[in-house]
Amino acid sequence: MGFGGYQGTILRVDLGNKQFKEHPIPKEWIRDYIGGDGFAAKILFEEVPPECRPLDKENKLILATGPVTGTSWPTSGRSAFFSKAALTGIWGESHVGGFIGPELKYAGYDLLVIEGRCEKPVYISIEDSDLQLKDASDLWGEMTDTTTSRVRRLEGDPDTQVAAIGPAGEHGVRFSSIIVNYARAAGRTGMGAVLGSKNVKAIAIRGRGAVQVNDHEAFVELAKQAHRRTRENPQAQEMSKWGTWSLTATKQEIGELPTYNHRTGVFSGWEKISAGYIRPRYTVSDRACFGCTIGCKKVNYIKEGEYAGTLEEGPEYEGLMAFGSSLGIDDYPTTLKANEICNKYGMDIISVGTTIAFAMELYEEGILTTEDTGGLELEWGNKKAAIQLLEMIGEREGLGELLSQGSKNAAEAIGPEAEQYAMHVKGLEVSGQDGRTHRSIGLAHATAARGADHLRSLVTVDQLGYEDVAAKRWGKDKLPEIIDPYTEKYKAAAVVETENAYCIRDTLIVCWYSVSWPPIFWMEDFAELLPLVTGIDEFGSVDNLNLIAERQVTLKRLFNAREGITRADDTLPRRFTKDPMPEGPGKGQTVDLDPMLDAYYRRRGWDKETGLPTDKIIKNLSLDWTRDFMN
Amino acid sequence: MPQQLTVDYTKCTGCRLCELACSAHHENKFQPSLARLKIVRYDDIGVDIPNVCGPCEEAPCVDVCPTYAMRRDPITDMTYVDYDKCILCKSCVGACVNGVIRLDTESMRIIKCDHCDGDPECVKICPTGAIQFGPPARSTVVDRHDKAETYLAEMTRTASEGES
Repeated sequence: MGFGGYQGTILRVDLGNKQFKEHPIPKEWIRDYIGGDGFAAKILFEEVPPECRPLDKENKLILATGPVTGTSWPTSGRSAFFSKAALTGIWGESHVGGFIGPELKYAGYDLLVIEGRCEKPVYISIEDSDLQLKDASDLWGEMTDTTTSRVRRLEGDPDTQVAAIGPAGEHGVRFSSIIVNYARAAGRTGMGAVLGSKNVKAIAIRGRGAVQVNDHEAFVELAKQAHRRTRENPQAQEMSKWGTWSLTATKQEIGELPTYNHRTGVFSGWEKISAGYIRPRYTVSDRACFGCTIGCKKVNYIKEGEYAGTLEEGPEYEGLMAFGSSLGIDDYPTTLKANEICNKYGMDIISVGTTIAFAMELYEEGILTTEDTGGLELEWGNKKAAIQLLEMIGEREGLGELLSQGSKNAAEAIGPEAEQYAMHVKGLEVSGQDGRTHRSIGLAHATAARGADHLRSLVTVDQLGYEDVAAKRWGKDKLPEIIDPYTEKYKAAAVVETENAYCIRDTLIVCWYSVSWPPIFWMEDFAELLPLVTGIDEFGSVDNLNLIAERQVTLKRLFNAREGITRADDTLPRRFTKDPMPEGPGKGQTVDLDPMLDAYYRRRGWDKETGLPTDKIIKNLSLDWTRDFMN
Repeated sequence: MPQQLTVDYTKCTGCRLCELACSAHHENKFQPSLARLKIVRYDDIGVDIPNVCGPCEEAPCVDVCPTYAMRRDPITDMTYVDYDKCILCKSCVGACVNGVIRLDTESMRIIKCDHCDGDPECVKICPTGAIQFGPPARSTVVDRHDKAETYLAEMTRTASEGES
């Protein structure tokens, strides 16, 4: 202890020996890494070596919070899971909203590290200092919603926060997720499979303690101002009403709504999966994560038709893309149903949707036939077939067995003719953006530690043309090119700066909707906030925060380097670099990745040829200790 | 005119900022378990219900108190604890219909809402206006009941159609 905001304790559970252990957080970790992402990177680097495969019992799964978690700072209810990823075999992280992170803090812990494997299914029960592994044999096989309800009943307290896996995680579906509070998904990179491989069905947490900050009065005052800023922010107000759904129309307008497996960026049926269409017809309630002023979560209900009676939170824009435009489906009830199945089975809607899109394109190209699909006619827009295939993937049946391995592995199994249709980077399926109409996201997809990631450095300032913000952040001299989404010039500068700020965001941890479109909060706000929370004056320097962010980005890169990742892996699917955008405002555009990569590595201090951190930058970032763990 | 906390659950997003603001004000730390109000979240049906102190026509906490420690202010209508008389029997904790009177087991005292002396923190931080402070007549109880009934009827209808 000693620093405000932290509980000062890491809780480790060794499943093999059925033991819980508490360790103090070393002070230098706080100084060098702040929290969240940073602590997890440090632990995974030291404790999960390259010879350990994701589903081995030696792999570890971390649930992390940051110093701001559990306070009244707006959008600070998030937490994150970390592990060597089941989907990609490299660095894995998956952030999630809801209430479980703050609850872990109130129970008295900053981090939960899950190690080893149980011989029988269990769930981890944390009720303040009462720590137990409880039998989950008769929960095994249950969907996440049933599991959550039953665990809450077993714990005897409806305020217990539950993170659960569904059948997909149990079966080792590579892109299976961990579902928190029924509908908040730690979706990406396959955290569910890691938990499943450890025979852990759920994590139940109830905490009644307090989180205390260093300067309570000043912090509360600053947090109140921050809430005011959030409430008055026009984009945040839009988010309150529409969630991320308004992106459908925006994306359609700029020609970047991934359609037919990212083949094109415009979708004729976009209106039926857009905010203005969905909300008046289906939305019954607005909800929020812990401590959030925005409240972007929408609960939706289907009154009529085949899926009548479906009551489900979501999906986000990414779901509308993955189970809408990307499959040629212009039917919101189908998308909501798909979201429900994804949540119940515990699967990442982006990865599974993109993998089904891959299968549909193979079907169109004649590479997959009804013989391979078990009779399913995988034509674009075939709603029933898409839903059926989704369930087959959750159960790993028929073609679902192959696709449950993710699009990269499935393409390798099918043959070289399939590979160009697998839309992934480093094994992680591409999210709902397209570098052809937004160059900076092309670079971010290619370089992000976990693969084709839209959350570690999605520059929005360029795409939406916020000239003043761009001038302030990157300098007037870089205008107008830096906000031109169709040129590679200066994009590395924007990506690196944004990645650094998002990195600090992920150590606090706060939600990315408070740093987007254009940002409500940025580095200078974090620098104002952190000393009040922690009492550490050094966090008051933006330069220091940038240094901490660079250290983390480079540390994750070193983690991946140990797994064999080099510049050769920092690629994009062929479609983005070779096939010009066929229509829409971005018609004719492709991504020229190499010059952006050169500039990105130069800014990061990584070697241009190999894409690996140089000795010099390793030393400058005080990462010399990593050498003891390199192979 | 006495003022009371009134709630509209159809506006509540379940963010629990009120619990944070409450504990920050009264306890100088962030501890929802010691908040003087409580959001009950029903994740499975997407409904969140704020439970606050009052407005109570009859106040069970006052009626049940064996030592007359729980009393009602004749002007504000607010109930309050006279700590000199309280014997920590927890009768009021059990009797409170909203479940918002608690025993703080660390300080060993009964904690309950005091409307922050007329300027409630929960109201100020609530992002949607789900919690308001004013004369009880402003409460939208009837409207809320209508909404709940429509909601439940709709679910029953689709459930029965699904069975047929």
